Amino acid sequence: MSPRRTPEDWIAVLAMALLCLITFGNVLVRYFTDRSFAWTEEISVFLLVVMTLAGAAAAAARDNHVRIEYFLTGGSAARRRFLAVAGALVSTLFFLFLAGLTADMVWDEFRYQETSSGLGLPRWWYTVWVPALSLVIAFRAAVVLGHMLKRT
Amino acid sequence: MIGALLFTVFVVLMLAGVPIGVALGIGGALAIGVANADAQLLGLFAVPQNFYASIAKYPLLALPMFVLVGSIFDRSGVAQRMVIFAVAVVGRGPGMLPLVAITVAMVLGGISGSGPANAAAVGGVMIAAMSRAGYPAAFSASVIGAAAATDILIPPSIAFIVYSVMVPGASVPALFAAGMIPGVLAGLALIVPSVWISRKHGFGAGETGLPRPPFWRSLKDAIWGLVAPILILGGMRLGWFTPTEAAVVAVFYGLFVGMVIHRTVKFRDLFDIFREAAELSAVIMLILGLAGIFAYSVNTLGIADPIVKFIAASGLGSIGAIVLIVVILMFVGMFLDGVSIFMIFLPLLMPVAKIFDWDPVWFGVILTMKIAVGQFTPPMAVNLMVACKMAGVPMESTIRWVGWLIVSFLAVTFLVILFPELALWLPRELGY
Repeated sequence: MSPRRTPEDWIAVLAMALLCLITFGNVLVRYFTDRSFAWTEEISVFLLVVMTLAGAAAAAARDNHVRIEYFLTGGSAARRRFLAVAGALVSTLFFLFLAGLTADMVWDEFRYQETSSGLGLPRWWYTVWVPALSLVIAFRAAVVLGHMLKRT
Repeated sequence: MIGALLFTVFVVLMLAGVPIGVALGIGGALAIGVANADAQLLGLFAVPQNFYASIAKYPLLALPMFVLVGSIFDRSGVAQRMVIFAVAVVGRGPGMLPLVAITVAMVLGGISGSGPANAAAVGGVMIAAMSRAGYPAAFSASVIGAAAATDILIPPSIAFIVYSVMVPGASVPALFAAGMIPGVLAGLALIVPSVWISRKHGFGAGETGLPRPPFWRSLKDAIWGLVAPILILGGMRLGWFTPTEAAVVAVFYGLFVGMVIHRTVKFRDLFDIFREAAELSAVIMLILGLAGIFAYSVNTLGIADPIVKFIAASGLGSIGAIVLIVVILMFVGMFLDGVSIFMIFLPLLMPVAKIFDWDPVWFGVILTMKIAVGQFTPPMAVNLMVACKMAGVPMESTIRWVGWLIVSFLAVTFLVILFPELALWLPRELGY
């Protein structure tokens, strides 16, 4: 657990704080004016996705993702090292793969000029962050992999 | 065939220590690719779509918000004041502190939605107090780990939010209401053996001579915390706000109490509180997203069919089938945490629930009770782990005590299996 604050930490914290403010604002506005601003729902969902992926990158940097540690922490040192390296490698490759596939999804949305159902904004404005942040997760997993390889 | 591939790849990766979400994603994507070998891009366009759609859901917003509520109340100082007030009510003597710890954990359960946060809040206050009074550290850790498990039954609850997002037809308010009575019963079921064991061994005799805190002053101190569950649950009940909004109101209330009233939270702590909550939620929600890929494969490739047919043809009947499911999941729960179990097994279990015509709300309560037991059943016991870390004892040392609590909690689970009305009466009465 490193105390250093990464850019992903800032993104996740800001997204979380904005989510609180928007939702609380909605409650207040509804009671004082009898109106609701439903259009914020789309923004909230967007922030939720950003918070998830940024937080996942932060968790990857600290190697905090949920896993079964039974075999990872037992057995010979060589086996532990092998599993740790293999796990980090698999994670890195998977998030690269996910970044590629989501980039393809965003490209289609861009090409066909899809718009969001609530605000009518171009959908790719929202979704382009998914491949970008997936790349960040892959990068953080790769850094962990690098540390594992260096440690003998 | 493809089903076997999906599960083999998933299980091998998971046992090898690959993050659970990644194992789910790879298993799911591989099955999609193999099944659509001649389609364009192997049909893999379903991967990002299901991943995105599983996270980008408005009702899911309640999850990070209630995680944040837990992180805030954990540090707001309300747990300590509630403990002093509870001692003022019940007095001192053998068995009183476990009673206090369980009761406070249940009241905090009405504020926070996650077991480990509850264990941290109660453990932070009770473990030192119980050790001063002469309770063995392993016993204190067992009681606190088990007591915190009532948190995910007593509303609000993160487990119920995840279940509701995955199961159409089980709304969050209905699940919250359905968890109330089983949660309180489970709490009572923990109090009985804890007090009995303490009396039998004379634990806590060391504090009999200490003065009792003054009733009115401790009530005045504790009132800010005691009001919180009323605000959250009452506000939802009266239709003032949705579950998500209730969580956000609780966030601001908790920050007000922590920063202005009790002054235990400083401005510079805010970043860490938000960071911790964001990361914790992200870990759950990333698995939820990747489990979406897995669930899509299971559903579209008909992987659940043989299992469903097997259970339908086994002649077990409704009660037999649910007992079988609980037993299997208890075994799996020794290696997997509760929310991951939901995400992996719900796509397989919902078709089974359909054959037996189980009420989805009742089924959710049963599964959540199973998960709650798993939170303090070694070796994979998140709550117990938190409590043991705070008490400075290895988890093995708790086995002697925690066994009684597990049996007692399971007994309540079987009561709810036999009498579904224990879960279903309250939501029906409230009109959900």
